[in-house]
Amino acid sequence: MDEFDDKEIATLLRLKRHEQPPPGYFEDFLHEFHRRQRDELLRQPLWRICLGRANEFMFRLNLSRLTSYPAAVAAVLVCAAIVSVRVYQEPQRANFAARQQTTFNLSAETEAGLSLASPVAARIFSTKPLRSSKSGHTHPRNSGTPPRYVLDSVPVSYEPTVRF
Amino acid sequence: MNRPKADEDRELVARTQAGDPHAFDELVIKYSPRLYGLVYNMTANHEDTNDLLQDVFAKAYKAIRGFRGKSSFYTWIHSIAVNMTLNFLKKRGRRFHMSLDDVDAGIQSDKEFLQLTARSSPVREADLSELQKRLNEAMMKLSDEHRAVVTMFHIQGMPHAEISKILRVSEGTVRSRLFYANRQLQNYLDEFRKNPVS
Repeated sequence: MDEFDDKEIATLLRLKRHEQPPPGYFEDFLHEFHRRQRDELLRQPLWRICLGRANEFMFRLNLSRLTSYPAAVAAVLVCAAIVSVRVYQEPQRANFAARQQTTFNLSAETEAGLSLASPVAARIFSTKPLRSSKSGHTHPRNSGTPPRYVLDSVPVSYEPTVRF
Repeated sequence: MNRPKADEDRELVARTQAGDPHAFDELVIKYSPRLYGLVYNMTANHEDTNDLLQDVFAKAYKAIRGFRGKSSFYTWIHSIAVNMTLNFLKKRGRRFHMSLDDVDAGIQSDKEFLQLTARSSPVREADLSELQKRLNEAMMKLSDEHRAVVTMFHIQGMPHAEISKILRVSEGTVRSRLFYANRQLQNYLDEFRKNPVS
């Protein structure tokens, strides 16, 4: 009598495909699956259902993709930070520019007074920026009278802020 | 066994991910007979197979949103089924009731069955149903991992490469497990041939 060889064992094993569940099993399987899903849903606490719904909502909005690109998110945050810092610094730079122009005008005025150049041109050049500057409008000295530069006095910024 | 078309699966998975529950029903209908065979031949018990299969699809339904299609749905669902069955078998240990005896009537018209019983072989000499019973017993004497490989290769007809993907082991490991399992089965069946009463 021969021994079982690999082929015969393989054939015998392949015949095991004919071992099937009772007829109608697969038709009932889906119904059973739905029933179990519903039972499981009913057993879940409310917070877990809410969490699941929120998760589903986020998934539909496709927000999960953002989390998969942390570099892109970081880049956006850095850009936003840089822009916000620049926006914050913008008025200070304008003040600085106005002050620079004031200094320049001051020297121009002085030079105009000393030199023989046309005084009209110097005056036009020197007064306009002062009028447009913010500090010029608010300062009481500049409100009525034309600007007068006093070189030997204490600058406004050096004066004490509180006076009794 | 014919492997399901990957494009159809991809579409059904996409529809399920978009929130269409009927698409997942179609996947259940499509894969339940195939997975039933896999789990049934690993557990050797109908009730355990039924419960496990329900759990497999429930787990797949929960996890399908995270399925990115790196592997095919076929490989993915088979991985879930095999891993869950192996975990179940570890917990169950040796305490089980074997119910692997429901051979379908279709076996009588199977070409391989007819060839096997026609030619002179040990199979013809033994009662086939008894032989099947012994084969099932021999299968259950294999380790869970070896039985999984035998089930997928011989019974489900999967290629080595597919089995290695499902089990996440090398093809060499799959081949060596198959070789060892075949030797084991051969020894058990030869023992039965020599001592048919035992």
